[in-house]
Amino acid sequence: MAIVIQNLRKTYKAAFSPALDGLSLQVRKGQIMGLLGPNGAGKSTTINIVCGLVAPDEGTVKVMGKDSVKDGQAIRGMIGVVPQQIALFSNLTAWENFRYAGRLYGIAEKDITHRAGELLERLGLDKHADKRVGRYSGGMKRRANIIASLMHHPELIILDEPTAGVDVQSRAMILDFLKEYNKQGKTIVYTSHLMEEAEKLCDEVVIIDEGKFVVSGAPQTLINNTTDCKRLEDVFLHYTGHSVRD
Amino acid sequence: MKKITATIIKEWILLRRDVAGFMLLFLMPAILIVVMAMVQDAPFKDYQEIKFDLLLADNDHGKLSEQIISGLRQSKNFRIIDSIDGKPVNDSTLKHLLQKGTYKVGIVIPKGATAEVVNAANTVSNKISEKLGLGKLPAREIRTNTYVRMYFDPVSKPTFRMSISFALDKYVTASCSNLLVARMQKLGAANVDSTIEEQSTDDFKKVFSGIGIKEEPLNDKAQTIATINSVQHNVPAWAIFGMFLIVIPIAGNMIREREEGSALRIELIPGTHNFVALGKIFFYTIICTIQFVLMCCIGFWMLPMMGLPSLSLGAHPAALIPVIICIALTATSFGYFTGSIFKTANQALPFGAISVVVLSALGGIWIPADLLPETIQHLALISPLRWGLDGVNQIILRNGDISQIMMHVVVMLGFSFLLWLISTYVNRGRNFSVQ
Repeated sequence: MAIVIQNLRKTYKAAFSPALDGLSLQVRKGQIMGLLGPNGAGKSTTINIVCGLVAPDEGTVKVMGKDSVKDGQAIRGMIGVVPQQIALFSNLTAWENFRYAGRLYGIAEKDITHRAGELLERLGLDKHADKRVGRYSGGMKRRANIIASLMHHPELIILDEPTAGVDVQSRAMILDFLKEYNKQGKTIVYTSHLMEEAEKLCDEVVIIDEGKFVVSGAPQTLINNTTDCKRLEDVFLHYTGHSVRD
Repeated sequence: MKKITATIIKEWILLRRDVAGFMLLFLMPAILIVVMAMVQDAPFKDYQEIKFDLLLADNDHGKLSEQIISGLRQSKNFRIIDSIDGKPVNDSTLKHLLQKGTYKVGIVIPKGATAEVVNAANTVSNKISEKLGLGKLPAREIRTNTYVRMYFDPVSKPTFRMSISFALDKYVTASCSNLLVARMQKLGAANVDSTIEEQSTDDFKKVFSGIGIKEEPLNDKAQTIATINSVQHNVPAWAIFGMFLIVIPIAGNMIREREEGSALRIELIPGTHNFVALGKIFFYTIICTIQFVLMCCIGFWMLPMMGLPSLSLGAHPAALIPVIICIALTATSFGYFTGSIFKTANQALPFGAISVVVLSALGGIWIPADLLPETIQHLALISPLRWGLDGVNQIILRNGDISQIMMHVVVMLGFSFLLWLISTYVNRGRNFSVQ
């Protein structure tokens, strides 16, 4: 298993309700798993705990067999996190950003150049590598954000809404790239509010709501097994309801 | 080490890209130094070094006023203005011009002043000659209401009034003494020939002027000791102030990095946080040190071109190196601390700017610490700028060596360590989130 989450609980200070309320789920190695849920369902808290950025109140998270609390540093070395924010220095060029990230990961200069060059080309940024990231379009920033997270060849990639606010072409390129990357045996955990995208990309989706596990399965299986549902979005609404979340 | 070096390179690229910010880091302290050194040049000079226009209304036209005017003219301090538009200055013109602020100081020698002094001298001489069996000079009862009056522009500071008052008093006293000597000589003139009279005049003068005050250097290296002047105070003081203004770019960058998400990237890379922080601190410590060196260059070469004295670094300039590095480290740590404890730029930047101004005022940057009230001098011990400036002064003004700045170095390292500890504690508790 790539990730095993058991009975995870987390309540933030001054929060009215728990962010996670006994969540348990598993992610198999080599899988593309979609973590879906409405706003405030607990997706980001789950990712933050998996990355070791936030400590759980209760429960355990094992990533590649390592405990997220005890072995947080080791886990961060094995995973590549693509946050929703563009986690890049806007006044540095893409090259400078990747070189800096590579050096912080302790990668040799030669490998940094090779790896960054390969990813820049694959994600269509090779002609813009010497431009400052602050001058990139939204789609270019998203792609650059992914590259910076993959400099160290992580076994597991966690992406938090990687296609939010990008055009159709950039989205298609990102999704194709993720599929290709997955084919190299890498595990991908992905969150999104775009059900159609998740339906196309993921081997399995897990729907969570109010910090609890709701349902999981392959998108098509969930569609088939849920009454009057033709799309994953119908399944999602069936389980999470139509009420607007804050 | 690779992570620290990578961060230093990254910070250098970022600073280089922000051309305006980069220029301001060096340009603003330079402007500050030049302006402050020039503005404070006059207040830093002893009043003896400055030449004042002195309005004079001479209602006496006698020996006394002649001697006072002659003494004032000979001094380097006063330029006598005794007529305006060809008309002699009188009491009312003098008061009017001072009230208007056209002149700062004026004196009125009253009518009959010479007669009054001669009478007083005669009275004194008679008392002495009575015991010696010499002759007697004409004398009447001494009047006590005759004064050489001094007037000041109402906005003049008390210290200015006091200095001028002392200087004028010196000339009036000297003039009175001369008259007394002359009266004493007149009493015995009949009995001596002219050579003896001349010799006796010199002897009398010696009595009245021989017990003077002369400033001597504290040690043998006198030639290398710089006296406090505008340049010796303002160059290191405002250079240190400028170094501490690094708080603003450091705190601003840290908060921007957290807001734009690049700080999250660093958090996500294992075992990186402290190295990145160290890289940042090293980089800005180097920048601050360069800043100080450049400011010293201004003190050496630029200020003398503007008619100010050249900066002197004392007998042990190498001892400045640890002090400057410690000041730079403390300034940078203070910036790191400010960027760590505040969440937004709106909180951090005003705090950074105002706290540096407050700490600089406490630390004797604006006014030498010795002139501050005693309570403030005690309070100043919490200001790293005070320790920095005092450390520099130990070397450039007191000719101190490395042993005399050890305390300063230790205290500044202590400040840096404390700020680092608090920052680390705050950063450890900070919640980063992928969202």
